[in-house]
Amino acid sequence: MAEKRLAIWVVVEQNQGKLAPVSIEVLGQAVRLVEAASALSGEVAVVLLGDQVEDLAEELSAYGVDQVYWVDDPRLKHYQNDSYAAVLQRLVEREKPDILLFGATGAGEELAPTLAARLSTGLAAHCTGLDINADGQLVMKVPAFGGRVLGEIFCPSTSPQMASIKPGTFTVTERRVGRGEIVREDASSLLFDEDIRLEIMDVVQFEPSGLPLEKADVVIAGGYGMGSKKNWGLLEQLAAELQGAVGCTRPALDEGWTAGEHTMIGTSGKTVRPKVYLGCGISGAAHHVAGIKDSGVIINVNRDALAPAHAYSDYCVTDDAKKVVEALLEEIRRTKNEDDSG
Amino acid sequence: MPELKFTEAQEMLRKAVREFVEKEVLPIAHRIDVDNECPVDVFKKMGTLGFAGVFVPQEYGGAGMGLTERAIILEEISRHAAGFAMILMTHHLGVEAILAYGTEEQKRKYLPDLASGRKIGGLAVTEPSGGSDVGGQQTSAEFKDGRWVLNGRKCFITNSSSADVTVVTARTGEDAKGRPAFGAFILEAGTPGFAPGREENKFGLRGSGTGDLLLNDCEVGEEALLGAPGNGAKLALATIAKVGRTGMSAISVGILRGCLEEGVKFAKERILYGKPIAKLQAIQLEIAQNRVDYEAARLLTYQAIGLKESGANCDAEIAAAKYFSTEAAVRSAKRTIDLMGGYGVMNDYPVGRYLRDAMATIPSGGTSHVMQLVIAGQTLA
Amino acid sequence: MEIAVLLKPVPDPAQYDKIQIDPATGILVRKGLKTVINPEDKHALEAALQLKEQHGGRVALIGMAPASAVETFREGLAIGADEAFLCSDRAFAGADSLATSRVLAKAINKAGPFALVLCGSTSADGGTAHVPSQVGELLGFAHLTHVIQMEISPDGRATVRAKMENGYRESRGRLPLVLGIRRELNTPRYISLMGIMAAQGKPVHVWSLNDLGLDKGKVGLAGSPTQPGKLYQPDMKRKGEVLQGEAREVAQRLVGIFRSAGILG
Repeated sequence: MAEKRLAIWVVVEQNQGKLAPVSIEVLGQAVRLVEAASALSGEVAVVLLGDQVEDLAEELSAYGVDQVYWVDDPRLKHYQNDSYAAVLQRLVEREKPDILLFGATGAGEELAPTLAARLSTGLAAHCTGLDINADGQLVMKVPAFGGRVLGEIFCPSTSPQMASIKPGTFTVTERRVGRGEIVREDASSLLFDEDIRLEIMDVVQFEPSGLPLEKADVVIAGGYGMGSKKNWGLLEQLAAELQGAVGCTRPALDEGWTAGEHTMIGTSGKTVRPKVYLGCGISGAAHHVAGIKDSGVIINVNRDALAPAHAYSDYCVTDDAKKVVEALLEEIRRTKNEDDSG
Repeated sequence: MPELKFTEAQEMLRKAVREFVEKEVLPIAHRIDVDNECPVDVFKKMGTLGFAGVFVPQEYGGAGMGLTERAIILEEISRHAAGFAMILMTHHLGVEAILAYGTEEQKRKYLPDLASGRKIGGLAVTEPSGGSDVGGQQTSAEFKDGRWVLNGRKCFITNSSSADVTVVTARTGEDAKGRPAFGAFILEAGTPGFAPGREENKFGLRGSGTGDLLLNDCEVGEEALLGAPGNGAKLALATIAKVGRTGMSAISVGILRGCLEEGVKFAKERILYGKPIAKLQAIQLEIAQNRVDYEAARLLTYQAIGLKESGANCDAEIAAAKYFSTEAAVRSAKRTIDLMGGYGVMNDYPVGRYLRDAMATIPSGGTSHVMQLVIAGQTLA
Repeated sequence: MEIAVLLKPVPDPAQYDKIQIDPATGILVRKGLKTVINPEDKHALEAALQLKEQHGGRVALIGMAPASAVETFREGLAIGADEAFLCSDRAFAGADSLATSRVLAKAINKAGPFALVLCGSTSADGGTAHVPSQVGELLGFAHLTHVIQMEISPDGRATVRAKMENGYRESRGRLPLVLGIRRELNTPRYISLMGIMAAQGKPVHVWSLNDLGLDKGKVGLAGSPTQPGKLYQPDMKRKGEVLQGEAREVAQRLVGIFRSAGILG
């Protein structure tokens, strides 16, 4: 009896010749799924679309994958929904993978549902857990109501089973030894000019300054309870003293106190898992907590003793956040001086 | 007796006003109190949304709603900033006087600007000789060569320096029985001989500037006369009862809700003996009383306004609503300060301002004593 | 310019902490939660109203929701839309994003034609961000989501910026388009009293499965390629030790906690 096959594809994302970090995170999950589903004959392939991205194809082949489907064409230089979806649709219809995984980036959140609609199949968004059950079905765990609720999703009767994963949901796994086969596809049979309805005019990306939130050992997060832009400066001082980074909630972002949207934590922002998270003036709405729940130690300072944030904390302080942050700054500076003089 | 139930449109209005107040007024509520200045820009923004002309028919540029909707607006603003609501409440006095007594020409001339908030309105009746003693007014209006010449001093006039259009009452002569007769005049800011005088320093409802209006040979044409020459006293009393007292009552309901909410918030936040003080029965009793005062004031206020809108004669019901709600607001603010202990007297919390605002609602539109006299008069009649 | 705005009534995101799963039935308990217009949809409506103010035309609200959601649509009319089409049928219940998009696309075609379909890029409740792209696909319109800037000329040329990680992508194309709007695009207007009055007289059409002529097997739970399994309430509770004392004492405790976590040397 022939072994049951399980082909998992990861659609990777590249911007200006660089792989998006989330693609590697997703790839790690694909490899894990195949390993876990040992009863099945599993294989992992990645799909890479771009213009002159041979080096990325090489790089990807070393991640423990069986194949790298590589489509190279000047028209694929930048992600564009029509061209990327057209190529992927033709590839998927030809190869019939069982599972298709995407990073839920700005591009991925367009490309994945587009493809799912074209293939009339199911897509689960922002999965926080993926498993293969005894029937060989993909079990996708997805958040709803800002992470307050998690639900299982199946895609029982259509194929492929599709899922997207938000950046930072999973940590990057080690690069595995081995080398997958690079399959260079002929773009001219996969992409036609009439597929493309929108023309990309410009792609602008900037490097955010400072330590990225997701790499910081200490995250100082501020919410509406910080009260003012002036008080916000205290959080930045504290982060500097602790060599950490400052994150924020949506209300604080809306007040214009923060460094920008790239510092927002939660379901519509970043997921962080620092050694220590210190929340200041944050009530602890579900959509924020979902982005910090895997942190090492969680501390919250909030005037409201009944704020949900306290329940999600290892330690909590019922007091004015500004006052506590000031005291903490003073204490840290004092102990540093003692250390220096001692 | 049916339940007090707002329509779907009224509920939507409340939601819309709340959103505006939380975004635009709440952040500056403390500053309005400290600076005692009318935030004209926010007033104008409010005007574009129809708050300034809520009960003005659409043909004059208003929203075409009624006094209930106006009360909802005042209540929602006063929940966070009663001083700011007082500016709107006073503006409506001027608007109502012109709407109820103006000629078609006067209405077309003034209401579109007032209803859209481009101009701020006011009503000036009180004089050093007294407010409720309407007949004691000394300000005079003499008719000379086809023009009215006004002289005198109005005092305790809200919006005295911010109003663009003020309806001013003045003695025009005597009636057939020899009693003083009064007229009402529409005066525009900047009219020669008409100017704001000294500004009072109120301890409550700050932001709504209150002060003197000075009339020194202020000369206006016949078209400035609002209503018949002998109609001024009736105009003043009717406008104050219909729009003034109901407005003060609605403002008090807003303050009461602010007190209730602040008290609840504090009781849940403040930890004593290891648990929120909301768990203490003594605190629960205070919260219950705040709730009852709020509910009762709300019922009396909207009931009286509903009666007025139905055309009923309800001076006593309005007086009762105003008397009860303003006094209840004072009690409730004091009670909330008490339950907050030392924090209650700190300006970090708004409740001290609520108490000052509540105190200041009492004299406006007639003191509690006057309200009781109105109620007793109707009851004993 | 004929514009459709997809409007979704959602439970107020400020109250998501109150959502529970009934331990006995495993079903979501969302009773007592206020229903509001999905926050990003307000930005889509604002964009539509601004375009109508520039170029004329009409703005129609289209959505799929229980009939009780009519008040939420009335609110959209008070903000300034001209009419509303509410797709409401028991058969639509339990729909995933694709089954929902089928209903919306059908309603757009029936109420249209529209040159432009705008919606929030993401809903606050489900939050999949699938609907803009899937409606676009089903209509056969080009589409973009996470839109933070757009310019649309009366002759139908469009230049649109879509947000990407730490930047944006600018595309050019022609109407018809479906655009998923982000909050960065604009500031929604407040509801005016005049708007509330006007809304009372604006038409709200309610369309059933039959009105739309849809196949029962293509909508609702039955027509959804994804099927829900168990629901969980993630247990994120921690010990919640309260640090008491004056700010200075608390600060000393915090420094200790930082140190034992390997921070501060």
